[in-house]
Amino acid sequence: MKGTAMKLSRRALIKASALAAGALPFTGCERIISDVTRRMGQTIPDRVSAAKGKDIDADFHLLSRAAYGPWPGDLDHLRETGQERWIEEQLRPESIDDTACDLRARRFETLHHDPGTCYEYKKPVLREEIARHTLLRAIYSRRQLFEVMVSFWTDHLNIDMEKGDCIYLKPADDRLVIRAHALGRFRDLIRASATSPAMLVYLDGKENKKAAPDDVPNENYARELLELHTLGVHGGYTQQDVCEIARCLTGWRLRTKWRKGAVYFDPSLHDDGEKTVLGHRLPSGGGESDLDRVVDIVCSHPSTARYIATKLVRRFVSDDPPAPLVERVATVFTQTEGDTKSLLRAILTSEEFKVSKGAKLKRPFHFIVSCLRSMGADTHAHAQLIEYLTRMGQGLFQYPTPDGYPDEAAPWLGAMLWRWNFAFALAAGQVPSVSVSLDRLIDAMGASDNPVELLPHFIGHRGAASEIHALEHYAASRALTDDRNRAELAGLILASPAFQRY
Amino acid sequence: MKPSRRGFLRQMFLTNEAVTADQGAKTLVCVFLRGGADTLNMVIPYGDDQYFRLRPTLSIAPPSKGGSDAAIRLDDFYAFHPRLRPLYPLFEEGRLGIVQAAGSDNTTGSHFEAQDQMEHGEAMGKTIGGGWIGRHLRAMKRKESTPLSAVAIGPAVPESLRGARQVSAINSLDEIQINTPSGDPTSALLALSAMYGADAGILSQPGRMTLDLLHRVEGLRASEYKAANDAEYPADEFGSGLREIARLIKAGVGLEAACIDLGGWDTHFFQGAVDGLQAENINLLARGLAAFDADMKNHRDRVIVLVMTEFGRRIYENGSLGTDHGRGFAMMAMGSRVNGGKIHGRWPGLEEDEKEILGPGGLRITTDYRSALAEVLTRVMGNKDIDKVFPGFDPQPVGLIG
Repeated sequence: MKGTAMKLSRRALIKASALAAGALPFTGCERIISDVTRRMGQTIPDRVSAAKGKDIDADFHLLSRAAYGPWPGDLDHLRETGQERWIEEQLRPESIDDTACDLRARRFETLHHDPGTCYEYKKPVLREEIARHTLLRAIYSRRQLFEVMVSFWTDHLNIDMEKGDCIYLKPADDRLVIRAHALGRFRDLIRASATSPAMLVYLDGKENKKAAPDDVPNENYARELLELHTLGVHGGYTQQDVCEIARCLTGWRLRTKWRKGAVYFDPSLHDDGEKTVLGHRLPSGGGESDLDRVVDIVCSHPSTARYIATKLVRRFVSDDPPAPLVERVATVFTQTEGDTKSLLRAILTSEEFKVSKGAKLKRPFHFIVSCLRSMGADTHAHAQLIEYLTRMGQGLFQYPTPDGYPDEAAPWLGAMLWRWNFAFALAAGQVPSVSVSLDRLIDAMGASDNPVELLPHFIGHRGAASEIHALEHYAASRALTDDRNRAELAGLILASPAFQRY
Repeated sequence: MKPSRRGFLRQMFLTNEAVTADQGAKTLVCVFLRGGADTLNMVIPYGDDQYFRLRPTLSIAPPSKGGSDAAIRLDDFYAFHPRLRPLYPLFEEGRLGIVQAAGSDNTTGSHFEAQDQMEHGEAMGKTIGGGWIGRHLRAMKRKESTPLSAVAIGPAVPESLRGARQVSAINSLDEIQINTPSGDPTSALLALSAMYGADAGILSQPGRMTLDLLHRVEGLRASEYKAANDAEYPADEFGSGLREIARLIKAGVGLEAACIDLGGWDTHFFQGAVDGLQAENINLLARGLAAFDADMKNHRDRVIVLVMTEFGRRIYENGSLGTDHGRGFAMMAMGSRVNGGKIHGRWPGLEEDEKEILGPGGLRITTDYRSALAEVLTRVMGNKDIDKVFPGFDPQPVGLIG
């Protein structure tokens, strides 16, 4: 099959790869980064082992859930490290060297600026940089669990960048709310989000004021804080609680001229009367401290523990969260005051987690990132790649309503065709701005005699009889010496039912 | 190899079409205005003084003011928002009817709860399973459904279509094709059929539906679509989505239900009146529906369009020149069977201190939304088993369908 490649002289190979590199639509700087990161280990190792058991391998399972699937060689690494130590490492992301990923992802200026400076950039730049940054981190970061949680909280505290001025404000929200607290305390996350400029715009908090006696508060944020961010819709609050919280949160504003987008509290726009929130009395005259009281009350509410536990278990275990595990995780939430690391430890080491192999459906983002990781792809995540995500219905930071992209399988089942087309395009190296080396992967897998043996590398087990049979039938009917047919076979693996699951 | 494969697919498509496409079948088009549309500023109760008092900055001038910014008179009590003008001829000619103060008993004030409940066709707190259109399609007991029996325009399948045997979520028919590295997808399609044809759990059905869809659309794509009667669809997703629905209906592929969303109605802040955020959306809706009506001129008896939202908004404006979540709204229906040119549903009055409903200030509901849907399903769509769609619900006459 790859006989032609093997017959080439070393010199010809170097020439060929130089030409291939030249054909990539990478900028000079990007080519250098690709080269440097490759030397730093962001490449396909010479030998990679796969799990070929009847059932999904336990380590592969952990890498599928707590990471976006294995990069070639990750499975070997996890086997050496052991699950317990790997989880602890992942829970201390600062202890994991991520220089190679930083080289790819740190260069986007708008991600480092405060909102005021972001206003100086054009919208397409802002839109593209945060999406590229997010994709590159998910693909290349070795702090995979951290990235998984970034995605989780991004949905939990969803902000649509296309609303109002959010596009200028979301980069700071991503950095100072989501990423700053992704593995931290839940209360800190909610507190940061409550006065995040992007959230104040997205849910109209900045419009919530009481300047005149007959001013009616804007309830938008108060409602979503209860319904989506903390207690959950059946968490036991009333319309009255929504009104009262809205009153507590009056007076938070954004600067509009100097230091545009900075948050401040204007006491003259605050409703300083007495309020009652979820049975707690807040005396009059609380001023801006009303906000902290509200955050304390909602974050320590028992419904919040259960709601967050349910959502996390849904993400990491099953669309139908097992009640006993939810209860245990909710207890951990209460005991640790919402320490995300403790919640994740409880979930990832649970029996329910271990027996839930392959129960989840990858959302488009997960699917694309796991495709790129398992292929060991080289990309700088240009617009063409991001376009595929939008096509599959998961455009980054573009979910319009505050509930965030759903985690359950059902809403994503209508877009199978786009997954298949992406799988084929990627395997054939036809996704613009993404480079793959299928033959190198085939070599590393020791699958050069029978490319069908690639399957376990992608799915963590031998595969279902129907899948093996379909691929073998394909291999028998097409000449696999032809690059295009080899790519088509690899595309079929990425398009298989098994690869859609995790 | 290529011509024969295409020939094979086309032949297969045509054969299937001959078997399944029921030329007499009607199509239900459901337009959902996501976010809770302020229909009080669309079908304006200018005959009620409270309206002007409670909306000092957002109210639309009554028809008596005259000029292009005044409301368009429908009767002695109601008027259209001026940006709904493209729909006025339809109202006048009797193809557009309205049910005022329709809605559900949902009191959560949550977009998601209210949308889910409405799309599921449920009463609050009572789950039935599946969506109301999904259950309707099942109750129709057609011999065979196709991937194009039910279509959602957009990336995801809406809740209302849950439970349908087959649903496709697409933006345009041109997207339905597969591109494989070898250029000839025959072997790859065969492998995909084998993999998804086997028991692949929840993936089996969508996988098989996708393969079937590919076969069917191959034939349709051969000719380019041109709208009839110089219909001009708005140049955006909503317009092109309606255009694709028209194309599917005319192609006679057995489309029974199509869902399309128009978002951006959650106008808590700076809603605008004659111009602004909401006015642009209103105009988009009106231009889209009017174009669809013109394009479908020769097929009107086969189509009914319903326009709904999860809840209306408060009757009074808030402190940020917007409106907060309310209750009742005006539902619209368009089609030749509609008892149009009329506003149905009893006007409940604008009582500011309404206590029995969600907080203060929502429009009280005088028509359960399910009564209107049931009337459409039984009288237009030929559903003879409405209890399967709304079990335990006793639909009341609305008069929307003649």
